[in-house]
Amino acid sequence: MVRFKNRYVLCEVLSDDPRCRQGIEDRAVGLAVREAIGRVHGDYGLARCSVSFTVKYLNAYTGTVLLRCRKDSYRLLCSALPFVRCLESRAQRFPCALHILHVGGTIRTCQKFLIQYNRRQLLMLLQNCTNEEERQCIQKSLLSCSLTEEKSQSGDEEDDDGTE
Amino acid sequence: RRELPDGGARPNAAQFKQLVVSALRELHGEVGAALPVDVLTYEEKTLTAILRVISSGLVKLWSALTLLGFYQNRRCAFRVLQTSPFLLALSGNSRELVL
Repeated sequence: MVRFKNRYVLCEVLSDDPRCRQGIEDRAVGLAVREAIGRVHGDYGLARCSVSFTVKYLNAYTGTVLLRCRKDSYRLLCSALPFVRCLESRAQRFPCALHILHVGGTIRTCQKFLIQYNRRQLLMLLQNCTNEEERQCIQKSLLSCSLTEEKSQSGDEEDDDGTE
Repeated sequence: RRELPDGGARPNAAQFKQLVVSALRELHGEVGAALPVDVLTYEEKTLTAILRVISSGLVKLWSALTLLGFYQNRRCAFRVLQTSPFLLALSGNSRELVL
């Protein structure tokens, strides 16, 4: 059976600026990535990657972005992501970097990876945090991630505003 | 070997190389502009040149040259006369060889 195969690239937005996280929009991220592909791979690369390119999911609290592209051009996309240097939204420029976490064939695999990744991040934060109330906050959120799949989907998007 | 028909301006060797690299940059971006292209010979009279490129970059180079339309706001076109992996083969057209 012939069908269009996509690749879903999971990335994280890293930024020094604390205001950057709240102001992220999916259109801004999409435009920034497209412009980076145009710079690095030219007209040919831009046209090839833009065929089925969208920002599927964006979490402003954790800075998680899920991009979709065709299977044939995901390497062009991944090679151009380190060249994204700033995001523009509401006439403000934020310097940022995109960090690729996972490339998967379906949204479900990316979601599974994201759940495990967030669990590991919470554990790391628990080890690193110094304040007692932050510790309690994180322990509570860890305990609320239960083992069943349905509940852990709601538990994986805890925002870490206590330790940011 | 490439031939470049033009209206007035005649580029010299450095400008020719600049033209080739800018064509690559337009079509293939920074990755294309970083492709190592060498101009082996260049004749200003006939505007003919011999370029050398790594074999994996031939497609990119050829497509970039084909789609280059303008030089100093004048229309121009690149015509590829011959390609071969051996330099000696470019010295003569073996089809016109008279035995």
